[in-house]
Amino acid sequence: MAINENKIYSPREKIVKNVGKGLAYNIMYKLITILLAGTVWYIASWRLNSDLLLPSPFTTARAFLNAITDEVVLKNISITMVRVFKGFGLSMAIGVPLGFLMGFSKIANNILGTLIDSIRQVPIMAWVPLTIIWLGLGDGPTIFLITMSGIFPVILNTITGVQNISKDYYNAAKTMGASRWSILKDIVVPATLPDIMVGARLAMSLGWMSVI
Amino acid sequence: MRLEINDISKSFINNGETHQVLKDISFTIEEGEFVTLLGPSGCGKTTLLTIIAGFQQAEEGEIVLNDKKVVAPGPDRGFVFQNYALFPWKTVRENILYPMKQLKVPKAEREKRLEELLKMAQLEGKGSLYPHQLSGGMKQRTAVIRALASRPQVLLMDEPLGAVDFQMRKDLQEQLEAMWIKDRTTVIMVTHDVDEAVYMSDRVILMSNEQGKILADLSIPLERPRDREGKKYTMYKQQLMDLLGNKTIKKKETIYQVV
Repeated sequence: MAINENKIYSPREKIVKNVGKGLAYNIMYKLITILLAGTVWYIASWRLNSDLLLPSPFTTARAFLNAITDEVVLKNISITMVRVFKGFGLSMAIGVPLGFLMGFSKIANNILGTLIDSIRQVPIMAWVPLTIIWLGLGDGPTIFLITMSGIFPVILNTITGVQNISKDYYNAAKTMGASRWSILKDIVVPATLPDIMVGARLAMSLGWMSVI
Repeated sequence: MRLEINDISKSFINNGETHQVLKDISFTIEEGEFVTLLGPSGCGKTTLLTIIAGFQQAEEGEIVLNDKKVVAPGPDRGFVFQNYALFPWKTVRENILYPMKQLKVPKAEREKRLEELLKMAQLEGKGSLYPHQLSGGMKQRTAVIRALASRPQVLLMDEPLGAVDFQMRKDLQEQLEAMWIKDRTTVIMVTHDVDEAVYMSDRVILMSNEQGKILADLSIPLERPRDREGKKYTMYKQQLMDLLGNKTIKKKETIYQVV
């Protein structure tokens, strides 16, 4: 394909072009990281020369390939994924409305804040025996733990998001005759969305971590 | 349209000290006037504007718009914020349509008004851009037409040109004036810039920062567009600066110096 240097790009094309470029760089940097880490790993395993202490990257890759083609492992991965998504979904479904409530209402923030801050301090593992008694074996305790570890970042980030909305946006909407519902739907939710996404990302990664 | 400001008083408590920003302020604004509230920082002009808008309440006195007492913000009073307060998650088009949707303006009429406003603000073809993609001047014009979209009785502007540099400010004053000549909505604008006040307004209400009172109420019956070098123009400017007093001129703000 010939590259025409003089082509004038529309804003949309520019964005697409730059995104493509950004993605290519991103992949390149990631490859460099993997290559560097792999080299260090390989040299270390070669010096140690013991599969027990440190298997080489190639042995590990082979084991990984074997594992992900094994039906039992695949089945277990899918079970875990379903649990993580269920737990994540629950922490979003409970955390976001709670965060909105606490962000808006000082009274709710004071009452629920104390409760949430104390529950938040309980180490996630300390819940394990209790949840087994409460929910039995099976999916229950795992989903509970995933929800438990994800819900706090969701709540806290949503509160921050709601509290940081500029008063001018509310006032602007009111001078335009906006109803309460419209202020919530058209102002509060979109203005808070970036913070909710931060909470969701944290919840997702914490969810994966608490699975084990 | 008739807007009455009746005996408005307001004070703030700062570090245990009561500071009277507005004391028994009264005046009346008639249909189609371009009125400027002029005064040094801290004189309470923005406070007065936000009381008219209904964002906050006065301790004493009342604002009456067309025989109805103002108690809360409403679409009969459009507001242009100093930082524009455009919704960053909406495009220019969506920002301008928003007030009309809230007022349930029929779709065909909405679109017609949108085109009209974009044309007036020389923003044709920019409707699909987001606020962060606009220049300062374009943002300012978008903010003005968004406030005009609901056809308010009165347009309130809080230092709408406060955030731009000197040369740009002059250009924007001219653009704003051109828009106003086409629209003729009643305007109350807050500014601390004497030149801007004389260039833009039919009437200047001069406020002092000492007792929260009105120093002067001056009408400027010059033809538009105005000649900044003109004899009468400079005379009005000088008169306002004299009224503001040497004390204010010598304060650290240089905005009152003759340019």
